[in-house]
Amino acid sequence: MLFQFQQILLQIFHKFNQERTISAPFHLLRGKRSGQTVQDVGIYQLHSYFGILPKLSRKKYDEELSIFVNEQFILIKEDGYYELTEKAFEHLKKSQELVFDGWHYRGNEHVFFARLSLVVQSLSHHLAGKMSFIPYQKDEQIQQWVRMFLKTNHYQDGQLQQKLLKEILNSLEHIAMEDRAKNILIYRLSGYNAAGFTWQQISFEENLKEMDLQLIYIASLHSWLNAIFLQVEEFPLLLQMVENIRVKNPLSGSAFQTAELFFNGHSMEQISRKRGLKMSTIEDHMVELAMNDPQFDVEQFVSNEDVQAVLAAVDDYNTRKLKVLHEVVPQLSYFQLRLVLARGERVEA
Amino acid sequence: MKLEDILNKYFGYSAFRPGQREVIEKVLDGKDVIALLPTGMGKSLCYQLPGYIFDKPVLIVSPLLSLMQDQVDQMKQFKEKRVVALNSFLNPMQKRASIQNLHDYRFIFISPEMLLQEQVQQKLNSMELSLIVVDEAHCISQWGFDFRPDYLRIGQVLGKPNRPPIMALSATATQKVLGDIEAYLNMDSPYKFIHSVDRPNIHLGKMLFQGREEKIEWILDHVTKTAGPGIIYTQSRLKTESLSQRLLQSGVTTAAYHGGMDPLDRQFIQQQFIDGSLDWIVATNAFGMGVHKQNVRQVIHESLPSNMANYMQEIGRAGRDGEDSLAILLYAEGDEELAKFVGIDDYPVDAHVDSYISYRSRNELPTSMIHNGEISETAFRVLDYWMNQLQPADVKQRLSSMKYEKMRAVEEVMDLIETNTCMREQLVHYFGQTLENRPEDCCQCCGLQYENIIRVREIIDAPSKELNWKRRIEQLLIGFS
Ligand SMILES: Nc1ncnc2c1ncn2[C@@H]1O[C@H](COP(=O)(O)OP(=O)(O)OP(=O)(O)O)[C@@H](O)[C@H]1O
Ligand SMILES: [Mg+2]
Ligand SMILES: [Zn+2]
Repeated sequence: MLFQFQQILLQIFHKFNQERTISAPFHLLRGKRSGQTVQDVGIYQLHSYFGILPKLSRKKYDEELSIFVNEQFILIKEDGYYELTEKAFEHLKKSQELVFDGWHYRGNEHVFFARLSLVVQSLSHHLAGKMSFIPYQKDEQIQQWVRMFLKTNHYQDGQLQQKLLKEILNSLEHIAMEDRAKNILIYRLSGYNAAGFTWQQISFEENLKEMDLQLIYIASLHSWLNAIFLQVEEFPLLLQMVENIRVKNPLSGSAFQTAELFFNGHSMEQISRKRGLKMSTIEDHMVELAMNDPQFDVEQFVSNEDVQAVLAAVDDYNTRKLKVLHEVVPQLSYFQLRLVLARGERVEA
Repeated sequence: MKLEDILNKYFGYSAFRPGQREVIEKVLDGKDVIALLPTGMGKSLCYQLPGYIFDKPVLIVSPLLSLMQDQVDQMKQFKEKRVVALNSFLNPMQKRASIQNLHDYRFIFISPEMLLQEQVQQKLNSMELSLIVVDEAHCISQWGFDFRPDYLRIGQVLGKPNRPPIMALSATATQKVLGDIEAYLNMDSPYKFIHSVDRPNIHLGKMLFQGREEKIEWILDHVTKTAGPGIIYTQSRLKTESLSQRLLQSGVTTAAYHGGMDPLDRQFIQQQFIDGSLDWIVATNAFGMGVHKQNVRQVIHESLPSNMANYMQEIGRAGRDGEDSLAILLYAEGDEELAKFVGIDDYPVDAHVDSYISYRSRNELPTSMIHNGEISETAFRVLDYWMNQLQPADVKQRLSSMKYEKMRAVEEVMDLIETNTCMREQLVHYFGQTLENRPEDCCQCCGLQYENIIRVREIIDAPSKELNWKRRIEQLLIGFS
């Protein structure tokens, strides 16, 4: 049996299709904001895993990797690339995976939960008639946000507890998620005379490893947030708590500037000159844009026929390696190929 | 207004505890003060009350971030708004704003690192203070159990002519440490209030074992049979986790506590312990300062503390309510070697001195030693301090004599294990005092029946407490379950 974390690693290695080195999953999990990692997210459709473990240490990662090697799931080659074994593929067939949405939250899920925690702690104390208490959330910004929230929603009337309870119950009840995942979320909350459970305590009750527990926690937060965003009119209070939590513009700062110039009618060469950046950097930005903007029209760079040709080649040769694809569709540049890869998959999805 | 009235008005207490009035009167007179009051006796009040009499800010230097946060939280809870903590938790914007308005606060908590910063000093020089408090003042002495080199600079920074009185507070200081406090803070023939370190309601037990596993077996048996709340001190993070796991499996509500834990988890544990939903905590010495639980009935040392002051500080968590409590020191053969190892483990060695020099000669910051994993932060603080004071050869000399001292400190704790005479007497002696009275059931050597002190554990048939998220959120928000 594999633990959750290892399942996730296996999935990621699988998606990378043996075309990247063993370090690629590490950077992906930590959400590294480099061109390569971000583009790989598009090319290999790894959005869900991006940045779900921003604090993962290399040591911990290497430990898990060596378990994989010992258990013969993976062969690591001398050049840092890898191969999955038969055993790994067997395992992949039957494994169930946690669903993440790392691309859209990038750690902000913790801000949402901190707000919720302090709101619940405040309301619980208010209910008990305790007007002052020591907050678990020490972050000054969170405290200010919660103070505003309570005021705007007239917590003094004493109705807010009921309303929030209803929203929490209704939103969580309808999510297809195991009860134990919901337990993990709710038992991390605190109230009057009821401190939250520690990871050790939950792991003892639910008989799970702490690392797995935290992964389930993050996946559940993502699902919860997505559920709230799907039915905003049903959850007016929770909607306020998710303010600025979902990354609206997933482009990196520099790519964003390029995009603005591009949409204002500048050509790529003009942008490169104007911004004093190398053409290859501008190309990176365009690929990032193609990946993130549903309105972006790839056909201004690649004909529809060529797009189909590339997608067919990906299928026939079961690869996303640019070098191979370039041999099959030689009329396209590497840049054009990357554009197609960045966007092509999304059309299917 | 009379002092009693102020005590009542701002704190809601009806009488002073021993030492408080004396200390407060002296600082109101403008005198320097050293106050040695046992843990939990109410040292904070000694500077909080004058804060309401003076019309200028009180500056409090405090060594631990968590401790500082604790104090500030508590004061805010009592509706004191004019309180601020200057420490590395603040982001640059918050920091700038706080410094700018520093003169408007009644209480300013500050970490020693922060005190050394240029902008802070400038601001402090431009304003007047009514009182300077050095909390946990034993940190200033290398003979104290928690030496903080930064503390040594407090005297240099704050000891200007025309300075306000200085108040040094501590629970545990030997004569030697007291001397260091007075000297390094440049105090002016301070008034000293030295309370007896003895805590007569804490009864001192000890148990000797052949092997480590036997010791663990005994703990499991003892804890399942006798009543808490209690704390078990042990050396390593790993041990806190394994021992707490075994207690949990025996049906005792227990949690591990150590410095490497999620900070939120640490708060949860403290609160659960105070609420009474947690009976036992298995902790490293990271658990202690700043934990205000009144009714801790037992403190068990699974491993030997690294010195007498640590031992005193740790058993001092028991019986803050004044009721009888039990402290049991456990020993298995060879434990002193472990304790010595732990004592010097986090201490710089000669190789660190050499490495420090080579960083310097490469024009790299020696602090990189921490980030490169060569040395711990605490050990680096000590190394860095001495490297700035002495020649490398003398630093090595100094380190080796300190190392020797640390090993000797463990031997002093061993004396408690080996002695046939009163343990309490030895303990009090160590702090340079004499014992006046011995309580009934004084200690293992004088005669001590554990069952006279602690009660039998009542096993409550806990209703199945399977987690249930709906019930839990209802309980939090509308109050029934
Ligand atoms: N005069 C008093 N009457 C009643 N309670 C008091 C009095 N003075 C202080 N206390 C209470 O005693 C408790 C301990 O006080 P405090 O935190 O100041 O102890 P301390 O001596 O600083 O201990 P430590 O060594 O652990 O820092 C607090 O809860 C405080 O409110
Ligand atoms: Mg104190
Ligand atoms: Zn005795």
